Amino acid sequence: MENNFILLFLVLFPMAGGVVSYIIGRFNKSARNYAADVVVLAEFAAVLLVFGQSSVFHLNSFCGLGINFESGGIRGVFTVAASFVWLMATFFSAEYFKNYRNRNRYYFFMLVTLGSTMGVFLSSDFFTALIFFEIMSFTSFVLVIHDESPKAQKAAMTYIAVAIIGGMATLAGMFFMYHSAGTLNFSELGKIISADNGKTPYYIYGVLIFTGFGAKAGAFPLHIWLPEAHPAAPAPASAILSCVLTKTGIFGVMALSCQVFMHDARWGMFILSIGTITMFLGAFLAVFSVDLKRTLACSSLSQIGFIMVAIGMSGLLGEENSLAAAGAILHVVNHSVIKLTLFLCAGVVYMNTHKLNLNDIKGWGRDKPLLKFVFLQGLLGIAGIPLWGGYISKTLIHESIVEYIAHGGTHGGLTIFNAVEWIFLISGGLTLAYMTKIFAALFVEKEKSPKKENHSLKNDCYMNKVSSAVLIICALLISVFGIAPHATLDKIAGVSYGFLGSVPPDHSVHYFSLVNLKGAFISVVIGAVVYFVFIKKFLMSKEAGNTVYKDVWPVWLNIENSIYRPVVLKILPTIGYAVAGTLSKALDFTLPSIIDAALTVASFLYSLFENLLLYGLIALVKVIRFMCDVYSYGVQLVLYFLFNYDDISYDGERDFREDAYFSRYSEDKHGEITGFRENLTISLIMFGIGVVCGLVYLII
Amino acid sequence: MGSYITVLPVVFPFIASFLILAKPFENKTKMRWITISIVVINTILSLISIYAVPETYTNVFTFSEKLKIAFKVDGLSTVFGTMVSILWPITTLYAFEYMSHEKDEQRFFTFFVMSFGITMGVAFSANMLTMYLFYEFLTLATLPLVMHEMDAKAFHAGKMYIIFMMGGAAMAFIGLVIIISYSDGTDFLMGGILNLREIKNNLDVIRLVYIITFFGFGVKAAVFPLFFWLPTAAVAPTPVTALLHAVAVVKSGVFAIIRLTYFSFGAYILRDSWAQYTIMAIAMITILIGSGMAIKTSHIKRRLAYSTVSNLSYIIFGISLMSQGGLASGLLHMVYHAVLKITLFFCTGAILVQTHREYVKEIEGIGTKMPIIFGCFTICGMGLVGVPPFAGFHSKWNIAVSAVQINNLLAYAGIFVLIVSALLTALYIFTIVIAAFFPKSEALRGRDDTMVKDPGILMKSTIIVLTVVSVIIGFFPTPLLYVFDVIASSI
Repeated sequence: MENNFILLFLVLFPMAGGVVSYIIGRFNKSARNYAADVVVLAEFAAVLLVFGQSSVFHLNSFCGLGINFESGGIRGVFTVAASFVWLMATFFSAEYFKNYRNRNRYYFFMLVTLGSTMGVFLSSDFFTALIFFEIMSFTSFVLVIHDESPKAQKAAMTYIAVAIIGGMATLAGMFFMYHSAGTLNFSELGKIISADNGKTPYYIYGVLIFTGFGAKAGAFPLHIWLPEAHPAAPAPASAILSCVLTKTGIFGVMALSCQVFMHDARWGMFILSIGTITMFLGAFLAVFSVDLKRTLACSSLSQIGFIMVAIGMSGLLGEENSLAAAGAILHVVNHSVIKLTLFLCAGVVYMNTHKLNLNDIKGWGRDKPLLKFVFLQGLLGIAGIPLWGGYISKTLIHESIVEYIAHGGTHGGLTIFNAVEWIFLISGGLTLAYMTKIFAALFVEKEKSPKKENHSLKNDCYMNKVSSAVLIICALLISVFGIAPHATLDKIAGVSYGFLGSVPPDHSVHYFSLVNLKGAFISVVIGAVVYFVFIKKFLMSKEAGNTVYKDVWPVWLNIENSIYRPVVLKILPTIGYAVAGTLSKALDFTLPSIIDAALTVASFLYSLFENLLLYGLIALVKVIRFMCDVYSYGVQLVLYFLFNYDDISYDGERDFREDAYFSRYSEDKHGEITGFRENLTISLIMFGIGVVCGLVYLII
Repeated sequence: MGSYITVLPVVFPFIASFLILAKPFENKTKMRWITISIVVINTILSLISIYAVPETYTNVFTFSEKLKIAFKVDGLSTVFGTMVSILWPITTLYAFEYMSHEKDEQRFFTFFVMSFGITMGVAFSANMLTMYLFYEFLTLATLPLVMHEMDAKAFHAGKMYIIFMMGGAAMAFIGLVIIISYSDGTDFLMGGILNLREIKNNLDVIRLVYIITFFGFGVKAAVFPLFFWLPTAAVAPTPVTALLHAVAVVKSGVFAIIRLTYFSFGAYILRDSWAQYTIMAIAMITILIGSGMAIKTSHIKRRLAYSTVSNLSYIIFGISLMSQGGLASGLLHMVYHAVLKITLFFCTGAILVQTHREYVKEIEGIGTKMPIIFGCFTICGMGLVGVPPFAGFHSKWNIAVSAVQINNLLAYAGIFVLIVSALLTALYIFTIVIAAFFPKSEALRGRDDTMVKDPGILMKSTIIVLTVVSVIIGFFPTPLLYVFDVIASSI
């Protein structure tokens, strides 16, 4: 096929646009905002142009393995969703960032991130995906840290650490995959692997690749960055992170599950289990959160879990996976739109109050009907209430689990899948509960305390017309999806089946039949029970007629602070230190005695033969002894510096701490140069002379 | 007579450098013009002798049948010679601005120009004896550059430098003697020149000699445990650290190891033997120690020096695979690392000149004040980490591919080492970048950064040019890799 340069344009144009808008921004701020708007608009138009149009772009020698883009099918859905989110977020940014510093930097990195995100979604092999995935990780880091507050810095460090470790794991997996299969193209890999009998190594490589993509998507147990980074970023950036960047991870997981390990039940089971944990964990964390954006971030986690459950089910169902496949891609679309709406609402709250804690913003939205309406659309959408978008995709995922059970699930036993179904319904219920919690806090509860300032501004000046329009468009989209699923969502699913390895179903699903409504009903009941029984009773309390949201989540129960950080920063170094100490002690003890024995033998030989060669031998032995010293020193160094780069002081001569100049040079002793191991060089020279003499002796 | 053009780039700077030293110059401009013209002329001369003259053999002096001083330009010389002769004028331009802040410029540039010729001598030498000769000259000519500051610190560094180098030379001498004694002709030849009939069954002795010689040349290539001189020598002025201790001197060490391994002993003697495993293990240990020490070090220049230690061993690891792919990818990393590290050092030097700050915690927040310097630092840093698609990714990838191909447990361990080291590299590079751009607020308290700005045009332009070059060769490595594959093909 011919190269379609529009695909390259899609990737490079926003990056170039970023540079241009940066330059414009040096001179004129509002012109820069318009330039950024124009760039994302043009990008959106270009994406629509190639939507559904199947074309390719190769650039063979680029970076060794070449980059390969493909368009059409599911890539159209992803790219349109992404550029839509970007469009809305960019339009919203103009008002949100009015009083921010470093806006030029924000716009530049946002546009470069857009280009690299497009690169990930358009890629047709893992190498291309990884290149743009890495660029995206680094540029989005700047978006996360934009506030430069200590909180944002900590979150961004966690983010970059997870991204780098994940990226490295993906690279390793990719490398071995390439070595065993000889290609990195998604569909070719699928063919090679399904034809191969020994699949076990491929699973290992697959899990390695999954690590990076899963970490970006927020899959358990590498989800730790997500509830920190999303709230720390400015709201439009949170929307981008939550709606699109997590989806690049999902795209990678889909490529692995639906192309590379197509219809593979074991792989499906792996994704399903991780998805189930993530789904429940995210919802559970969200219920306890008392921070508006943190709740939304945890909710993203949970929704990513839903999508991964769908992807897992589509692997398990094999050929008949159209329900699960449609559920996966539709939930991607729905979640993008809904979370965009909700994060932008949170952005409106934050840009007016500069607070996000539920106790501080309580009742802020009572007299703002537009915001209330938009937020309600988001709530109803994400909670899966019939007639709103989320219901459609959740129903499809639910039905796919039910279908698998009905078919008498061949893999892992039915109890597991009954459990999965119930966890699914409970998570759906929790979604409704935590969304009701923040909705009630923002729009229903009254602020009675006289001490606190009265937030209420005039009704119409809390956001400008552009932002209102953005919010209304997003909100309407949610209900349009929900009310007319056959005209909208079914079409989107229709173009995606090819990539997801499924055939379109014979007849369209009756979303509003009684059977399908039952699942939603159960979730709603669970949600209501959780809200009125658990949240009202345990997470809220009345103090002087004022409702207070309690943060009852125990501080120690944080997988990052209680496990990852201690393990990486304390336990590993301690083990390393202990091992290094023991090893060096053992070496100190054993090696010299061996060397001394060797020296004794050498001197014996010396007295026996008394020739020059043995000077050399003795020197050699001395050098070896020195080498052993250095070796034990080196082993200690390796382990010490690998595991422990915090300053821990040593005593005595093995003090590696840096002084003002050099580690071996100290000014304490009246400017004398101390500690320099002249032994080595003398030994070396001795050794050299000795051996040369020996050789001369031998030759003559 | 036409073939004597190969000798010119070696001898010319050596003689011409005395022009700089000859008389005290009233104004610096004249001396700079002389210096840059010598360097540029020599670059042209060496490029002519590399590309315009077909492979000619020039015998300069004959001691005996086996002991000759001779020059020859082959594929490997092309790579090393081109790399050095392109980077030298760029560094000279950078050094003009940098050295205007230091004293004794005349002496500096004399030895700086002299080292150029000597490095070309290493590149063009046709046999072990010639290479050994220039290899030792290089030590002597660069010693005054290392000790340039002439204070206690610099003397310490110089002492350490000379003692390590001489120790190494003593060990390398053993290999020299063995190669001359047991070979048919002494000229380098791909595939080795040892006479197997004379060696008979003493292969293990030969391998032992190889290991000793490896460590001898390994002093310049900074292998464990002989790398301590390199971070200490970071006391030298930045152009020296950048060009000599990231490119010319240390890569002559690597170059000598390639000559030793593939052109003298021959890969077939060493492949799958304990000698190969030893140097593989040594390379791996050095990679880890270098990266680990780099994290530990908060002095930026010395951190980069430790990073050089680690990266040189990437190349040595590639070489130690004793395969075509290994050598080719090692050479690729040699070129990538040269461009990347010289740029990183230039950036550090620019920071030093502009702000007099040397430690990571001191540079917090000056990234936005020096956007060009830190922009280039970030791009080259990403390359060094191996973030695709920047330079550095592809060479590491190829080293790993070659390691998998030889299908050996140690080589697999090497891949693990590469991954761990990449993580460590990310740690020690990005802490600098992040500190520069996103300072912790308490670090900025009580500090006046208003005067901090990007350096002058010479420094800025050289840094930008090198960054652009690194990006281009990173994006399109295929032509380079093709050349290296051809060089390594007759292994």
